Amino acid sequence: MNITVNGDELEVRSPGLTSLLRVLRDELDVVGPKAGCEAGGCGACTVLVDGAPRRSCLTAVAAIDGAEVTTVEGLGAADDLSPVQQAFVHYYAAQCGFCTPGMVVAATHYLDSGGSDDRKEIQEALRGHVCRCTGYVKIIEAVAAARGGNFDLTTTAEGGYTTVMTGDAK
Amino acid sequence: MKAVGARLPRYDGVGHVTGQTTYVDDFRVHGMLWAKALRSPVHHAAITKLDTSRAEAVPGVHAVVTHTDVPQLEYGHLSGLGIPADEPLLAKDEVRYMGQPIALVAAEDLEAATAGVAAIEIEYEERPTLWDVREAFDSDAAVVHRWGNWYPHFEDEMDRRQIRKGDIQKAFEDADHIIQGVYRPAAIEHVPMETQVSMVVPESDGRLTIHSCTQAMYFSLGVISAHLQVPLNKLKIVGGTVGGGFGGKVDTASETITALAAMKAGRPVKWRWTREEEFLASSTRAPWHMEIIDAVTSDGWILGRKMLTLHDSGAYARFSPYGLTKHSFHHTGAYTIPHLHFDGYVVFTNRVPTTAMRGFGVTSVSFAVETHMSRIVDELGLDPYEFRLKNANRIHDTSPNRISYTDPSTVDVLQSIAGATGHDLAPAYAAATREPREGEWLPDHLVDQISTEGH
Amino acid sequence: MAEATEVLTPDSPEAAAAAFGEGGDVTIIGGGTIMVPLVTHGVVQPNKALILADAGLEGVDQSGTTVTIGAMTSVSALSELDAPLGPCAANLGDSEVRDQATVGGNLCAVAPPEHPTGDLQGAFVALGASVRSTGAGGERIEPVADFLADRDNRLVLDVTYEQPQAGAFESLDRPHTHHPTPLAVSGARLADGSIQLAATGAAPTAVRLPSAEAEASDPDAAGTAALGDVRLVDDAVSSAWYRERILPVLVRRVLEQLG
Ligand SMILES: Cc1cc2nc3c(=O)[nH]c(=O)nc-3n(C[C@H](O)[C@H](O)[C@H](O)COP(=O)(O)OP(=O)(O)OC[C@H]3O[C@@H](n4cnc5c(N)ncnc54)[C@H](O)[C@@H]3O)c2cc1C
Repeated sequence: MNITVNGDELEVRSPGLTSLLRVLRDELDVVGPKAGCEAGGCGACTVLVDGAPRRSCLTAVAAIDGAEVTTVEGLGAADDLSPVQQAFVHYYAAQCGFCTPGMVVAATHYLDSGGSDDRKEIQEALRGHVCRCTGYVKIIEAVAAARGGNFDLTTTAEGGYTTVMTGDAK
Repeated sequence: MKAVGARLPRYDGVGHVTGQTTYVDDFRVHGMLWAKALRSPVHHAAITKLDTSRAEAVPGVHAVVTHTDVPQLEYGHLSGLGIPADEPLLAKDEVRYMGQPIALVAAEDLEAATAGVAAIEIEYEERPTLWDVREAFDSDAAVVHRWGNWYPHFEDEMDRRQIRKGDIQKAFEDADHIIQGVYRPAAIEHVPMETQVSMVVPESDGRLTIHSCTQAMYFSLGVISAHLQVPLNKLKIVGGTVGGGFGGKVDTASETITALAAMKAGRPVKWRWTREEEFLASSTRAPWHMEIIDAVTSDGWILGRKMLTLHDSGAYARFSPYGLTKHSFHHTGAYTIPHLHFDGYVVFTNRVPTTAMRGFGVTSVSFAVETHMSRIVDELGLDPYEFRLKNANRIHDTSPNRISYTDPSTVDVLQSIAGATGHDLAPAYAAATREPREGEWLPDHLVDQISTEGH
Repeated sequence: MAEATEVLTPDSPEAAAAAFGEGGDVTIIGGGTIMVPLVTHGVVQPNKALILADAGLEGVDQSGTTVTIGAMTSVSALSELDAPLGPCAANLGDSEVRDQATVGGNLCAVAPPEHPTGDLQGAFVALGASVRSTGAGGERIEPVADFLADRDNRLVLDVTYEQPQAGAFESLDRPHTHHPTPLAVSGARLADGSIQLAATGAAPTAVRLPSAEAEASDPDAAGTAALGDVRLVDDAVSSAWYRERILPVLVRRVLEQLG
């Protein structure tokens, strides 16, 4: 079996019923997706399979042979953050960070497929994602603001990151 | 003071959003074994047989650890504070809660470890259980702990946390109303997104590198060192990246047992709990049983409070004596009550041991106190803000344990809530401040409790 | 993990039926939302697994008044259909689970014995749908209620129903867990004018509510009568006590909507 992960075509040797999550983490060393419950209930393992968000813990790898998989690592890097990633940093939407890989993936898909900044709709799109730290408010704020995409992460003189909004979030 | 007032980003935010933050389960080391635990399937039983020889023979299994492998089997989480030990690292001849760890199997993969666990021969003789803290004191209650059903080792071998302040008898004689309530918040599982996990690497120089999701690294260091009888300089804890804790990762839940398996196997070992194990066997916030009886005047002064608290500690003491002590100090909430009679017991049951969660011991009593305040308001037809403002802590009021408050904010908080909710306060209440009591704010019954010393 | 499992990935309905044969030793993976975790945690250790992902069993076909839904159709593909099925599907899980969860898996959802499961079952029972399946003895077409009573060792191919005159769906709010909806009632006024009601969360599989149907003209009486048709259980998401109080309310609301 083969899957393409964040652009790299990789051979998969795990048995066909192995969950995509375990293939990613234990065989391919892609550890962004997290094992929060391994029962589909928390959302931390969510990845894009052929562009659609999917719980990797619910997916037998043999069912997606040949597919394109994108994990949080594939959405942006520290020096090249995506709007959703920037907004999550800016709005403190990641606290302990364990749910963040799934949240960012799901939020990215939501916005890429034309999702609005309406709180109810964002809530519905992220309904399958559990966060125990933030109380969700900051996450929803971040997704709504990322709709505008007006963030910039610049380095301050002290060397740490600071975030600067370059425009009003709509 | 560059940071004050500035909008500083989280130092770890970029790592979180890019998937680069490394949690314990994200570490990979060469030759790592996976561990699986044998946990008690029953709530209370004697272990009448424990034989691991077949498990050791399962292909892929490298080490099976049980109580016989632990240099110091019992070490209390609060031994450092003089609270004696009662909990074995791995169960020996008895299990007291469902999910209690009995053995850990380290193997090439999880399947082999699981097969190893299944091959352990164990037999139990079930014993009666105790679930309701109120029944713990009955003469026919099941006895679930070797110290009896409640913790007997407070200072001077007292079997309760006791507070006596003022003259409770007089308070009740002087009261116009006696108002009672019982409050019973339930246990709460912390449900961190990251389940308990640790990975221990035996280094070639004889040290152990311990990757831990603990909220309390130095604390865990002491616990591990004591159980393993290994000096601190042989232990290196790598931690600080915690996938949610909320108090539930204060207990040293997995590191010590993982270390033991790594030492025995001579290989790195990782032990990650499943979500089911997390729900079943990780500690929870305690359920509490609280009874409050207040002596109140018709014009809304609380003269005295009698309170009984039964703190459900679960099967072992862990931090509960400490949690109950904090609870007792806060049993008047944000209010000043001059005459007090408090008895609190740490009660053992067959639940999973309970622990800290966001304001250990205090959230329960705050809930009870505020609910009771509302009950008094309802029963006497008082104004909810004015009743609270009247009894609110002021500078130089004293707490149940006679700490003199230097800067309590209750008055200001209540006034701003009233403002925010559009509740009109009578002029005297709107003008109240946190300054020391005088005039109408200092009735006779409060004179003696005031103190400028003792902070 | 599961090294020994033989994994079959048929690429047509015929190949799927052939691979399934008489069933027995074959574990079907539809969307996998229930089955994959069971395998991961070692609860189920299949000898042979039949992955239906590429079997071409998905699709909603509406010809005239007949609606046919392939077993591998995702739950999200149903959410725009008329009540009771559309709103019932839209109410299941979350958007990602709905994309992956299938109709066949919902009809065959396994759970601990006394725990109700499979939200779509109620809508299908109310609609008087029939299930086409294959397995020992070949193909079988039968009312969904009969299928639910005897569903072991069957491969579901599709589900068919006649468009009703009217439909309604009412449920308790689903908590954020992977539990099915704690209690839901589906109702349909069928083409012949008769009213059919069914509940999920009121027994281990969906149940028809014949006593309530008999009182359909009086929604309040029907609500009370429904209690005679169910076997309510306590579970993690709701007590039997609570279900007993809510079931009559849901039945009444459904009947009021059916008019
Ligand atoms: C987070 C979460 C939330 C959920 N919420 C809900 C909910 O609200 N309501 C609800 O009803 N369910 C819910 N579920 C359960 C589940 O997702 C659905 O029941 C789903 O429809 C199952 O379909 P599947 O294809 O994924 O099943 P699978 O896991 O593939 O299979 C389930 C069972 O059906 C069998 N099976 C699958 N396809 C066929 C077929 N064509 N023929 C014969 N047997 C077959 C399998 O062998 C297995 O025994 C939830 C699950 C999760 C993880």
